[in-house]
Amino acid sequence: MKKSILIAGFLALGWVTFSSYKPSPTRPDQLSGTISISGAFALYPITVKWAEEFRKIHPDVKIDISAGGAGKGITDVLSNITDIGLVSRNLTPEETKKGANPFAVTKDAVVPVISASNPYLKDLLAKGIKKNALNDIFITGDARVWAQAGEKSNAPIHVYTRSDAAGAAETWANYFGKKQEDLQGVAVYGDPGLAQAVKKDPLGIGFNNIVYVYDQNTKQATNGVIPIPIDLNNNGKIDPDENFYGTIDQIVAAITSGKYPSPPARDLYFVTKGAPKTEAVKEFIKYVLTDGQKFIPEQGYITLSPAKINAGLNKLK
Amino acid sequence: MQLRRKIESAFFKSLMIVATLIIAGSLIMILWTIASKGMQSLTWDIISKVPEGGYYIGKGGGILNAIIGSVYISIGATLLGLLISIPVVLYVNIYAKRNSWIANITRLTFDVLFGIPSIVYGAFGFTIMVYFGLRASLLAGIITVTLLVIPILARAMDEVIRLAPTELSDATYALGATRWETSLIFLRQAIPGIITAILLSFGRAIGDAATVLFTAGYTDSIPTSLGQPTATLPLAIFFQLSSPIEEVQNRAYAAALILTFIVLIISLSAKYFSKKLSKHKI
Amino acid sequence: MSYKARLIKDRISANLFLVLSLFSILTVVLIGYGLYYKSAPILGDSSLWHLLSSTEWKPFKNEFGFFSYIVGSLAVTIIAIVIALPLSLLAAIYIAEYAPYRLRQILVPLIDLLSGIPPVVYGVWGVLVIVPYIGDHLAPHFVDYSSGYCALAGGVVLAVMVFPLIISILLEVFDTVPNELKDASLSLGATQWETTRKVVLKKSIPGIIAATVLGISRAIGETLAVLMVCGNLPMIPHSLFDSVYPLPALIANNYGDMMSIPMYESALMLSALILFVIIFIFNAISRLILYRIENRS
Repeated sequence: MKKSILIAGFLALGWVTFSSYKPSPTRPDQLSGTISISGAFALYPITVKWAEEFRKIHPDVKIDISAGGAGKGITDVLSNITDIGLVSRNLTPEETKKGANPFAVTKDAVVPVISASNPYLKDLLAKGIKKNALNDIFITGDARVWAQAGEKSNAPIHVYTRSDAAGAAETWANYFGKKQEDLQGVAVYGDPGLAQAVKKDPLGIGFNNIVYVYDQNTKQATNGVIPIPIDLNNNGKIDPDENFYGTIDQIVAAITSGKYPSPPARDLYFVTKGAPKTEAVKEFIKYVLTDGQKFIPEQGYITLSPAKINAGLNKLK
Repeated sequence: MQLRRKIESAFFKSLMIVATLIIAGSLIMILWTIASKGMQSLTWDIISKVPEGGYYIGKGGGILNAIIGSVYISIGATLLGLLISIPVVLYVNIYAKRNSWIANITRLTFDVLFGIPSIVYGAFGFTIMVYFGLRASLLAGIITVTLLVIPILARAMDEVIRLAPTELSDATYALGATRWETSLIFLRQAIPGIITAILLSFGRAIGDAATVLFTAGYTDSIPTSLGQPTATLPLAIFFQLSSPIEEVQNRAYAAALILTFIVLIISLSAKYFSKKLSKHKI
Repeated sequence: MSYKARLIKDRISANLFLVLSLFSILTVVLIGYGLYYKSAPILGDSSLWHLLSSTEWKPFKNEFGFFSYIVGSLAVTIIAIVIALPLSLLAAIYIAEYAPYRLRQILVPLIDLLSGIPPVVYGVWGVLVIVPYIGDHLAPHFVDYSSGYCALAGGVVLAVMVFPLIISILLEVFDTVPNELKDASLSLGATQWETTRKVVLKKSIPGIIAATVLGISRAIGETLAVLMVCGNLPMIPHSLFDSVYPLPALIANNYGDMMSIPMYESALMLSALILFVIIFIFNAISRLILYRIENRS
């Protein structure tokens, strides 16, 4: 007698649990569903914001966002584990062949960074760093001491890079015509992790998405890492028109006007496998490309050109 | 000569004491580090809210999503694991003849499965997940952790049931009991051992990161169905620890403290139960 | 309940349980086969020898050299065992032979507690305590610079994780040494230490080997704790203070990029397969030894 109650109880529990596997809509005329998103750290902050705002309009849609790097984003979406992959680099031919369908949603950039407690900070901010020096530091490894970065010092340069498959790393390497695997340095997980490692090491140098360098509220680089101006015209100092690293708005303007090169500036993509499969995903991407764009400047990203936005909207039709 | 031997003896004895102190000391140091860092960040908010503004950069909220997610996965995996390991342990000990080839191979299998590192389970779980079209979800996480936990349960319970004297089964068979009924008797005998096994596997399940890294996903919200991704305490620590934003790091420390606390309680209860309930032992 | 009903129950349960047992056995085969199946593409592409001995890891150029990662795994494991084995041995002897019973009752549960702590918590401790200590205090005496994220950090963290495992096996092994032998030695005038050395340890050598082997297999498979402190740099370390990149960390860090490069998934599955095989062999060796000891006593 007791046993059959127990068995009945287990069966009921099992039924309740498994029947909840597919979420049922609560209001039939409201948009509902789940959107699963993962991928680049670069897109994480703005996607969180977009999700929050989208849920204000469509409260029945559940959006799960996790980071993990662009590589994870593309792997997950192509394996049908997520609905949207956040990818902060261009797609490879293999990825496109597997059905990757990109929607450009915004633009940002990767900047080289040093610790706020770097002893040569003032000097580096004034002189900047040349692309060749960066190449020697990050790619060839020939530059081992700060003297080769233009400082009179034999202190070693500690290079950091990303251990996860990252769009930021790929983009930074693309700036030198190479790939992420060619980057030198101690590999740290995640963009925040890289920033943390450089912040703690006065002799460290790395690279970050601008959205992790500049604080959201103060708009300035107060997270412990400071971007090094790139001496674009190689004249050995930072001219006024090369000096746009003070606040995030300045650098955003520079990227928009093209003064900051692309790469390391790049388009950021939402990637789906084939056409977006559910109504919720379609609406979300549409929202991001239309009303969502107004949040871009305040979050520290670069607005997309109308041409690219329309191209994306057309794909949704 | 005598003196040299005495000195040698004393020397090694002191070495041993030093070694023991180092080992015991490292445990205490670990607990102390976690406690001090975690206590600083432990607020009521942290354990009662989900992260606000995204777990990577949001400055508010807490780790409730990870706590609940971990508990769901561990309970689910332990239950599923029991469902498979109890029958197998019963089969090996009662239904099969002692030292039959199937009993030995099954025991060997569990030894092998016990030694497999959790990352291999994670990789295997991910492969299965993709093969069946499952998403990174509570369900995929539970399945993978179940695989991890079955050998732990099986070995622990096997130890206990083996220890029960053969006189017991002799008596039941003499009274005309079937193997099924005998199994129930043995299970009753082994209850403290089973509870210990459950606690052990729960503790392992809740603390393991490599199994859920690929399979359970991660999210800011609390899962409401099996198909949704879920945060877990080990991943909450791993992801949030390396953020330069202090509030995010604090969440990681609080998560570490809570996780350690849960595991310690489980370990201590396991010991308590195995002592207390063995008074029923024959 | 009728006789027939009871028999049916017995029959059904027997068959069901047999199926489950067979299913469990199948799982091991499945895991091994699944990993092999997924690794097949890359094994077909380059020879196993080339994969294991090359240090070039350039996925985009289809170059997958596992050597640096294998060396990384070996480095942290060897460091861990070098630290853990002597300390565990000494502590185990102390607990088994010297410590008063009350002390043993406190120490053994304490060390067991260590084995329950989740790996990620060890990682946090490693990052907060070990890495800065090595980077700021220890390394400057030996090398120009180390960030602290190095092989030594990985080894130390692993050593602490492995202590309880080795100690618990050693305690079991020491317990099998018959008391009569120890008493005989002492009555002949040997000191406590001489008895320990010549009787207990000598008799326990197979057990010590088994414990070491088990410790090695645990250390090789540990993923998260090591990943957090080892530096994740695929290089052959020239010193304890160089960063390394063990095999499990390779899998954990890079599974995210599996889709973009066709061979990548295969390569990562091959690492999992290599780990599986190595650990399988080591576990088998140690189980065999322990089985022999158990039967002997």
